[in-house]
Amino acid sequence: MSAITGIFRAVTYRGREGQIAWMLHRITGVGVFLFLAMHIANVFTMIFPSHVFNSLAALYHSVPFKLLSIFGLYFGLLYHALNGVRVMIVDFWPGAGKYQAPLWRVQLVIFLFIFVPSAAVMLARMF
Amino acid sequence: MQVQSLSRFRRTGNLEQMAWLFTRISALILLVMALFHLIYMHIALGMDAVSFQLIAYRWQSPGWRLFDLVLLVFGWLHGANGLRVVLDDYVRAPFARTVARALLLVVTATLIVLGAFVIIAFQPS
Repeated sequence: MSAITGIFRAVTYRGREGQIAWMLHRITGVGVFLFLAMHIANVFTMIFPSHVFNSLAALYHSVPFKLLSIFGLYFGLLYHALNGVRVMIVDFWPGAGKYQAPLWRVQLVIFLFIFVPSAAVMLARMF
Repeated sequence: MQVQSLSRFRRTGNLEQMAWLFTRISALILLVMALFHLIYMHIALGMDAVSFQLIAYRWQSPGWRLFDLVLLVFGWLHGANGLRVVLDDYVRAPFARTVARALLLVVTATLIVLGAFVIIAFQPS
C-alpha cells in the first residue's frame, strides 16, 4: 500500500472518536519519543564543561522552543497520558468499552481543565 | 507438528503479553513521574532557570539522581516498545523490519547507557 493510499484511507475511514483518539495517541507518542531522544542526548552533555550544556540551553530558551515545549510537548504528553488512562480503563473493565466514545469526550474536557490553566501559568512563567 | 507450532505461538504470545503488560505498568509510573517532571521544571523552576549549574545542584541529591534514572529507563523503554508496535504496522517487508528493529535496539541501548552513565557518574567540580 503506497503512502498516498494510506493517508487517503486514514482520512476517509470513518472511525469517528475511536479512530481520532487512536491517531492522536500514536502521533503524540512518536512526537514525545523523538523529543526524548533529543532530551537524553542534550542532558548527556552534562559530562562536558558547563558551557556546552549552557549553549544548548540557550537554544531551548528561545521563543519558538518555549512555545513548542507547551503547545507541542506538554500538549502531546498530557493528551497521551489521559488517553492512556482511558485505554487502561477499557482494558481492565471491559464493560466500559461500550462507553469509550463518551469517555473520550469526558477525557477532552478533563484535558482542557488541566491544560488551559497550567499552560497559562507556564506562559506567564516564561514571558 | 501441531504441538510444535502451538508452542511456538505461545512463546511469542507470552513476549507480546509481557510487552503489553509492561506498557501499562510503565504508563502508570510515567503518568505520575513524567507529568510531574515536566510541570515541576516548567512551573516550580521555570524554563529559564535550567542550566548546567542547576542540574549539577539537583544531582547533589541522590534522590533526584534516582528519580531521573527511573524516568530515563521507564520513559525510554515505554517509548521504544511503543515505536516497535508502530513500526510493525508500517514496515512490512521482513528485511526492512529486521533493520528497523535492530536500529531501534541499538539506539535504545546507546541512549540508556549514555543517559544512565551521566546521571550516575556525574561529578560536580
